[in-house]
Amino acid sequence: MIWIVILSAWEAAYRLVGWPAWQFPAPSHVIDAAAGMLNIPLASGERLHRGWPWVDQDDVPAPAKGPPKRVITSPLIIANLVSAARLIVGFALSIVLGGALGLAMWRWVELDRLLGPLFLGLQTLPSVCWVPLSILIFGINERGVLFVLVMGSFFAIAIALRDGLKAIPPLYQRAGLMLGARGWRLYRYVLIPASLPAFAASLRQGFSFAWRSLLGAELILAVEHKGLGFLLATGRDFADVAQVVAVMIVMVMIGMMADRWIFAKLQAAVHRRFGLA
Amino acid sequence: MSLVDAALKAKRVVTPSASGAPAASAPAPRRGRLVLENVSKDFAGSTVPAVRGVTLACEPGEFVVVVGPSGCGKSTLLNLAAGMLTPDEGRVTLDGRDVRGPAPERTMVFQDHGLFPWLTAAQNIAFGLKMAGVPQAQREQRVAAALDMVHLRRSGDKLIHELSGGMRQRVAIARALVMDPAVLLMDEPFAALDAQNRTLLHEQLQELWVATQKTVLFVTHSVGEAVRLGDRVVVLHAHPGRIRREFRIALPHPRNFDSPEIAQLVHLVRREIEDEVNRVNAQTDEEPWKPQAPDDLDRHSVGLGGGI
Repeated sequence: MIWIVILSAWEAAYRLVGWPAWQFPAPSHVIDAAAGMLNIPLASGERLHRGWPWVDQDDVPAPAKGPPKRVITSPLIIANLVSAARLIVGFALSIVLGGALGLAMWRWVELDRLLGPLFLGLQTLPSVCWVPLSILIFGINERGVLFVLVMGSFFAIAIALRDGLKAIPPLYQRAGLMLGARGWRLYRYVLIPASLPAFAASLRQGFSFAWRSLLGAELILAVEHKGLGFLLATGRDFADVAQVVAVMIVMVMIGMMADRWIFAKLQAAVHRRFGLA
Repeated sequence: MSLVDAALKAKRVVTPSASGAPAASAPAPRRGRLVLENVSKDFAGSTVPAVRGVTLACEPGEFVVVVGPSGCGKSTLLNLAAGMLTPDEGRVTLDGRDVRGPAPERTMVFQDHGLFPWLTAAQNIAFGLKMAGVPQAQREQRVAAALDMVHLRRSGDKLIHELSGGMRQRVAIARALVMDPAVLLMDEPFAALDAQNRTLLHEQLQELWVATQKTVLFVTHSVGEAVRLGDRVVVLHAHPGRIRREFRIALPHPRNFDSPEIAQLVHLVRREIEDEVNRVNAQTDEEPWKPQAPDDLDRHSVGLGGGI
């Protein structure tokens, strides 16, 4: 509600004062840009005219030849799908790598002593700092993007999982041994289930790292298959402020939705099962 | 000795619960002779209490309670029996075989139950059977019988945090008994319960023990609990843990926990422990504090209702 008031005031100020739209966009410009990226011609940022907020029929050029523009093939949807595909592949890699390393660091204290401080240090490194290295090793391509994504997130997963495993009450291990769970069975049936709350937490943290790394990598690397970060870069290149803001809003929304609807839900489900607050 | 005989007799008279606990029809050569032979365990530079030169033999079907002040090494003793710890000296044997590591033939009920929170009560009980490779159908049957045994038939599908403290301990007992262990080890299992629940569980445990005739090694700091449940109460000496004295509780099972005999025995054992607590406290250079000794118990009971 308060947001509606603020945005309305902003929009009204725009209409009355008449700032140039290429410096800072009004909400309506952002809406137009977002709609435009969805192949919906919208002109709510125009002055009021007949048929508002749709584009003035007189301004519309003759329909271009070629396939009709549909929402499903619009730049924003394509960009989201491309980014989502990269995210899924990269995040899965991160989980496997980070999970294995986290488990190994918990199992062998020497390894933890060796890698723990290093990983903590690398975790503080902003993920875009991996981009130059990635370009030099892999070049500007998909593998480069994946490299940045994995590097940006798997340390966080490994550290979070290790900490979670360390917090498992030793009593579970004793109970498992007493009931005949030895060797790999102890891992499969006791330690791994017991680490689920930690794992859920590490996934949630790992995802936010992965998402940020991916967008940073796409923004800078701008490889042929266009992701959401590339869309942001295009907005910059064409000095389209409205598009830049629109893409940023989409990024925040997707990050928030994934966190709220997937990872927070997952964590809540695990906590409910374990009877944690 | 006649009372012991009576106790054994009473055990046989009681019919096993209808649920058919697996061990109810124990074979002729009784198993479950747990022997700790001159066992010592030290933890250098640690606060974990040590035990030294402890010899304790639990006969098949016997209920032995180890009691002593906190820090006397009673849990260490139990962990040695469980195989969670290996003794520095001496040996631990079960039916003549050396104890090596934890195993389902010596199941333990922990103070904090140690049930797995990601499994339901029934899945927790089935866990050990699953590890042992018992087929599904048989598993379900035995789990159902075990749930029946602890009167939790309708709570099998509940998660652990949905159960009360007393119910959790009953699930833990069922989880231990379903493995049909040779010895049941209990580490202050009722210490965290309120008094009403504790009494209820004492009664249930007694009933279960009479029905299953398991060897039980039970550790507690509560003298009342020790005397209520045990055939034999072993008082442990602290720093390092040694056996100070043994009491044979020659009362038949099932017992009436409010009987004057029990009260009298509690009084007797408590005095022994009190000395021990004072001795431990004296080592800390603090002035020993002794409560005003109450009148002797006998004087109260004698003459009650005498004028009728």
